[in-house]
Amino acid sequence: MMPPAFEYMAPTDVDEAIDLLNRYGDDAKILAGGQSLLPLLKSRITSIPYLISLSEVKDISYITDGKNSLKIGAMTLDADLEYSPTVRKNFPILSDALGQLADPLVRNMGTVGGNLSHGDPSNDLPSVMLALDATFKIRGKSGEREVHSRDFYMDTFVTALEHGEILTEISVPYWPAASGGAYVKFRKGTWNFSVAGVAVQLQLDNEIVKKAGIAITSMGPTALKASEAENYLKGKKLTAENVRHAAELVVAASQPSSDSYGSVEYKKEILRRISVQAIKKAQTRAEVK
Amino acid sequence: MDLTEKLVSGKGNFVDDINMPGMLHLSFVRSPYARAKILRIKGGITWKDVDLKMASVGEGATKGFEYLEHPVLAKDYVGYVGQPVAAVYADSPYEAEDLAETSVEVDYEPLKAIVDPEMSLTAEPMYPGLKSNLLADKYLGADFEIKDAPVIIEDRFVNHRIATDPIEPRGIVAAYDGNRLTVWVSTQSVHSLKEGFCEIMHLEPESVRVIQTDTGGAFGLKGGIYPEYIVAAYLAMREKRPVKWIETRREHLLASRPGRGVVGKMKLYADRTGKILGIKGDVIVDSGAFAGGSGEFSARFIAMQLTGPYEIKNAYIHAMSVLTNKVPQGPYRGAGRPEAAFFIERMVDRLADELEMDPVEIRLKNATTAPYVSPTGLTVEASKPFLESAVKAMGYHDHVRKGNTGFGWFVLVPATMPGETARILVDGGTVKVWLGGNAHGQRHDLFVRSILSDELGIDPSVVEWQKGDTDQLEDGVGAWGSRSAMMGGSALVEAARKLRKEVENKYGKYSPQKLLEGKWDSYEFFHYDKPYNNLGANLITVHQDDLGVIHVRECISYYDLGKVLNMDNVIGQNAGGCAEGIGQTLYEGLMFDENGQMMTSSIADAGVVTADLVPRYKLLLHKSESSLPSRAKGLGEAPTIGTPVALARAIEVATGLRIRETPINPEYLLSAKKFH
Ligand SMILES: Cc1cc2nc3c(=O)[nH]c(=O)nc-3n(C[C@H](O)[C@H](O)[C@H](O)COP(=O)(O)OP(=O)(O)OC[C@H]3O[C@@H](n4cnc5c(N)ncnc54)[C@H](O)[C@@H]3O)c2cc1C
Repeated sequence: MMPPAFEYMAPTDVDEAIDLLNRYGDDAKILAGGQSLLPLLKSRITSIPYLISLSEVKDISYITDGKNSLKIGAMTLDADLEYSPTVRKNFPILSDALGQLADPLVRNMGTVGGNLSHGDPSNDLPSVMLALDATFKIRGKSGEREVHSRDFYMDTFVTALEHGEILTEISVPYWPAASGGAYVKFRKGTWNFSVAGVAVQLQLDNEIVKKAGIAITSMGPTALKASEAENYLKGKKLTAENVRHAAELVVAASQPSSDSYGSVEYKKEILRRISVQAIKKAQTRAEVK
Repeated sequence: MDLTEKLVSGKGNFVDDINMPGMLHLSFVRSPYARAKILRIKGGITWKDVDLKMASVGEGATKGFEYLEHPVLAKDYVGYVGQPVAAVYADSPYEAEDLAETSVEVDYEPLKAIVDPEMSLTAEPMYPGLKSNLLADKYLGADFEIKDAPVIIEDRFVNHRIATDPIEPRGIVAAYDGNRLTVWVSTQSVHSLKEGFCEIMHLEPESVRVIQTDTGGAFGLKGGIYPEYIVAAYLAMREKRPVKWIETRREHLLASRPGRGVVGKMKLYADRTGKILGIKGDVIVDSGAFAGGSGEFSARFIAMQLTGPYEIKNAYIHAMSVLTNKVPQGPYRGAGRPEAAFFIERMVDRLADELEMDPVEIRLKNATTAPYVSPTGLTVEASKPFLESAVKAMGYHDHVRKGNTGFGWFVLVPATMPGETARILVDGGTVKVWLGGNAHGQRHDLFVRSILSDELGIDPSVVEWQKGDTDQLEDGVGAWGSRSAMMGGSALVEAARKLRKEVENKYGKYSPQKLLEGKWDSYEFFHYDKPYNNLGANLITVHQDDLGVIHVRECISYYDLGKVLNMDNVIGQNAGGCAEGIGQTLYEGLMFDENGQMMTSSIADAGVVTADLVPRYKLLLHKSESSLPSRAKGLGEAPTIGTPVALARAIEVATGLRIRETPINPEYLLSAKKFH
């Protein structure tokens, strides 16, 4: 479990990192927390001659309350976001996900930007960002652009990031009062990836759903937004029947494949159940506020 | 510093902590196929350099057939994914892994793999000259016929293979000074390893020294010798430079010997009062592609124990070990004992359900009231009184009333034979102790201190337990099979008594002062050639949540341990063994596809039990001292035997499903009626 040889570079600002990425082309990759990249290198599934670490880059790790949104620097550690008071208060859905993401050792190294850039359909943060309607700030040679989370995930390990681009910031819009969310994860063991995960964010108005954000983890080639379920809930009361039907629509949005963790039917059944749990939990949190 | 504190705070000295000037690092090129002909090998150290075969040493050692012997490095055939084919070395482990990827070419011609042990029974023989794929084939007991038995139950059970997964994988450092080979190794027995090196490499005993490093778990895996160790020794001797090999986790999962991998097909005859009239069965062990693992031996060992703590008058068991294209099976946590208990206890629970009787009532009905030797050869003391006190002490009936409770019990067959050695060296006021079996996480130092302060009246703090070293203790057996307190402890008691006598002879009267002032050296081989079995029981309660997941709520052990030498040892053994049993039942398993490729080659997929998945344990003692010098009885494997059976039953009660397999498939658990 020793990685093949690589050059390690640690530039101090983002533009320098972008220059290096462009200089070495396909031979280079960004190294963030290394919690996905290093296992790939160590098991020699891939080799990358130039690793450009963002660890020395200044001003890329922060959690700031903006006017309309929470701004998260890409190099923010999972653990820092997990324990952030503003996240705990405003986005319990994120605290849910982070508290169950891998184990504390991984969370002390792994970054939010790395988790979102990797494009692993089993990573937990992409579906949470999809549910929350987050946007990603991306910087490249020719400047900066914003991509909505919904347009970011293209295929397994393929995102809207072009080569030579770096994800620098995540903006999570504040949801109005009477909103709440939950992330429910079903996994084998304690520190493992999920068999199925579901993120639900709800905005209520006198028991009526005004807006819903729902997305799922480990249920297809990328994290998937369950738009039909979102639309269905809009304007409805969360009666048992409506919740059950929404869960059914979440399942309809899933594309699981069978593997050693279970058959397609099993995974759908689990997703059905955890979708109900997540909607109910989100509802309770929205009502409390 | 306390040993545990040292080991968990990074201050231990494990094999991989050893660094020597000029040290070479070894890496292996392994077979990507479960079964293939090798057409050509180019590069690296190959069988042309090390044309040796593995001998069989360690727990359950038997002599293999020549053509079934595991080659150190494959020659013209590979029998499992991960089998070592060539070795490379470099000044750093990084370069060694680079070379393993780039410097060796192997051409294979893949053959159809034999993966399923039951299919292997009828498959074409794996090797030319074999008549079948049976590696061992024995009948135990005597055939019988019961005409018109009122109840006949047949069933089939599987315990899938599991990785031993010690936190520290296998590893070795070998060095050669021109005369003598010295190896530092993570092991359960320096003596068994020394024997292995001598036998396989044709070395004289004087020219080999095996030294144990701190050993981070072993669970049966580290009692034996492996091809990688032989190559390390070979290279150290050839290059006259120290050589290190450290196993990766992936190598561990693929190519170190896993446990379990056993199918039990059972048939039980009973009358309608619940009295068992007889059992028949097939035990089929998935032995792997070569002899020399524990496979050949374990089918018979399991078959022998199938009568359990019961007075079963008729028993006839076919014990089969079959060849498959997998790494040879090895001894692991209980090594055959948990499998036997799983098969018979599941059958007794089935009988209880069939007759709508309480499971313990059925067990009481079939328990023995006097010492008993079963038709398969299992020795049992009067088990009924034990069961009665277990039921009472554990509050069985209260638990059953509350629901979701399972109970199981068993005969523990410790690996007593042929006894064990110990040495006590007193010098400069300290007392050094070596045992013939080498602790690999159990803290033998604790009971060693307890025994010596009792026997010699000395302050425990002057006692220094030593790791294994073949230069310090001339011979020994090993730490496995629930034997250390019984056999190692007895050897130590005898050595201490000998010492006491020597002091008495010299000074007329024994005193700790006299002992500590002098220089003394006492060695003892405590010989023991009989079984010394004891009884144990477990009770478990569970809860099934809305997603079908089982949560273990309570795990109570009721064991006959004899004299408790040290309570911390006992608590540790119970906790670790129960966790293992829970792991086997719910989380851990090695799975293969139809080509013999492992589908669980990461620790996440192979499963491991973590702290949040285990309950609080409760340990109750049924104390009746043994007649051994240490007064102890066996313990280590007891919870690995009792936990899976009690847990399987608790899950049956909670879910209404029949449990026939470990690990239990979560998907199966969600098929429980209450969910649909
Ligand atoms: C044992 C274990 C269990 C795990 N379990 C989970 C789990 O349950 N849930 C979960 O979500 N994750 C899990 N992970 C993955 C973990 O969350 C990783 O930290 C995460 O996927 C990647 O983040 P990183 O900072 O470590 O990125 P790295 O591993 O350094 O990088 C990952 C990829 O993203 C790219 N990248 C990183 N940052 C940027 C950026 N700012 N801009 C552009 N590209 C970038 C890299 O080039 C690389 O391709 C687990 C990891 C381990 C080791």
